Amino acid sequence: MPVIKNEYLGRKPDEFRILLGLEGHPDSRNLKTYLEKSNGYKALEKVLKGGMSPDDVINTVKASGLRGRGGAGFPTGLKWSFVPKGQGEKYLITNFDEGEPGTYKDCYISEVTPHSLVEGKIIASYAIGAQKSYIYIRGEFYNEIKWCEKAIQEAYDAGYLGDNIMGSGFKHHMDVYCGAGAYICGEETGLISSLEGKKGQPKLKPPFPAVKGYLGKPTVVNNVESLAVVPWIINNGPDAYKKYGTEKSPGTKLFNISGPIVHPGCYELPLGYPLMRFINEDCGGLLDGKKLKAVIPGGSSAPVLTAKECENVTLDYESIASAGSMLGSGAIIVIPEGVGMPSILENLMDFYSHESCGQCTPCREGTGWLYKISKHILKGNATRSEFERINMVANNMRGKTICVLSDAAADPARAIIAKYAHEFEPYLKG
Amino acid sequence: MPYFSQELTKIIEGYLKRYETKRSSILPILHAVQDEKDWISDQDVDALDKEFGLSAVDIREVLTFYTMYRKSPPKPYRFEICKSISCWLLGANETILAVRKEIEKAEKEGRPLPFEVHGVECLGQCGYAPSTLINKDRHNNVTPEKALALIKEYGSKELPKAAINCAANAKK
Repeated sequence: MPVIKNEYLGRKPDEFRILLGLEGHPDSRNLKTYLEKSNGYKALEKVLKGGMSPDDVINTVKASGLRGRGGAGFPTGLKWSFVPKGQGEKYLITNFDEGEPGTYKDCYISEVTPHSLVEGKIIASYAIGAQKSYIYIRGEFYNEIKWCEKAIQEAYDAGYLGDNIMGSGFKHHMDVYCGAGAYICGEETGLISSLEGKKGQPKLKPPFPAVKGYLGKPTVVNNVESLAVVPWIINNGPDAYKKYGTEKSPGTKLFNISGPIVHPGCYELPLGYPLMRFINEDCGGLLDGKKLKAVIPGGSSAPVLTAKECENVTLDYESIASAGSMLGSGAIIVIPEGVGMPSILENLMDFYSHESCGQCTPCREGTGWLYKISKHILKGNATRSEFERINMVANNMRGKTICVLSDAAADPARAIIAKYAHEFEPYLKG
Repeated sequence: MPYFSQELTKIIEGYLKRYETKRSSILPILHAVQDEKDWISDQDVDALDKEFGLSAVDIREVLTFYTMYRKSPPKPYRFEICKSISCWLLGANETILAVRKEIEKAEKEGRPLPFEVHGVECLGQCGYAPSTLINKDRHNNVTPEKALALIKEYGSKELPKAAINCAANAKK
């Protein structure tokens, strides 16, 4: 059995709220509510008027152990520290291109507490010395675009944005930029290309965006959730944050659960929370008493875990990695008995072949072939050697491209055929 | 005479000044053109080049890369149904099929519906599956029954302004 912190025992998920404290409040998106009920803009005041230097902010976030919530889990404070010091144009961009199947947490943040994001962005911009920041948001998120724009406008009206914020001399401007339907723009360099008005194709790293990003200037790209939690960390200190979660994965995280589940939704949980307890107790188990067959634990790019493999998994970066998958964006997709894994494979590969940007041959061709082969299998037209070719194609896609979309397609494909080969047997010829 | 309407021209000029480079304004400008005309034609691209100094090549690069831009005249309502994994697990395919059948049936009976249906990639509402968009309106938990009710509801509304503009431009 996994080691579970005593403090989680007998407590409900909503007792661990850091980010979603305003959940359920009728006017949670209003500035007034944020100010009165959520210590709104107190962290910004502490930073700008309380004499915190940019380095103090970076060190506080570093000390909190906050890891990027978009999927890669890179330490947020460390990312900020890579930006060259001194004067000059720098940019902060929020990655709100939420498009990983299974993930809907950033939408939920903008629905519940968009001001947390705006405040977090201003603080992060102060830390790296950015005078301008953007929220790059998916074009399809019509409601969320409005909520973010309204929060920014309210922040301008209240003097939290502008040329001399709170009389501190710090100047910062913020804007929303809408994408136009491309999953690849969730990759930070693809996102930057898109913001520059180009095709959203990723660029080779190095140089990293922190050195050469938007328009060739130092740029930090952070996920919505990573930024929205920053005000709480500044207000309460890194030690308070580290009381939640595990040693290597401190804090809370938003988890989105989807699939045939009784209470789907976006939950804030301390990292290290037991997966099966979350599914069975907090989310009410599977619909119609169905039996759990498999879980995709971190968005569609995460390799599938069998029900058995899930038994001892806790929801933190390390536990899921040691089970052979990844925490990713915290999107838990539940697959019940009765759903064929060959169909799951086809659905996933359809997505990746559609979303490959076409820049690198292994990805453009590889995702296309994985989709074609999986379709071919489902129709009962494939031979055993064609089935085995999935592995060959997937191996030729891993680590051979500019960005990781290729790996994100190859890894789940390999996991499915390795763990559920027996389900493919009846479809194969000869 | 300027090619675009006065209102749209104003929006375009606003975007041209809003970002660090002119090129960054291409995506938002194309959204604005589409919001007014329902799709983006070759003539629109040429006009953006000639009247606002945006490169036609740069515009075409964006136009053909991103899936939200329509490059031919659409039906007034686009019923976009998410077919990615979470929605698929909760029956998105049945919803897509039901909508498609309804549209085809109406077509055969000589009463064409102002709808087209698309299975699209993840709409970011996986917990409320199947998730859909009808133009800019989000509808979640859309079962086949709910989808057919939505078709009725939207079908009895006045057509959106962009669709009316689109039809008027086609007659020109």
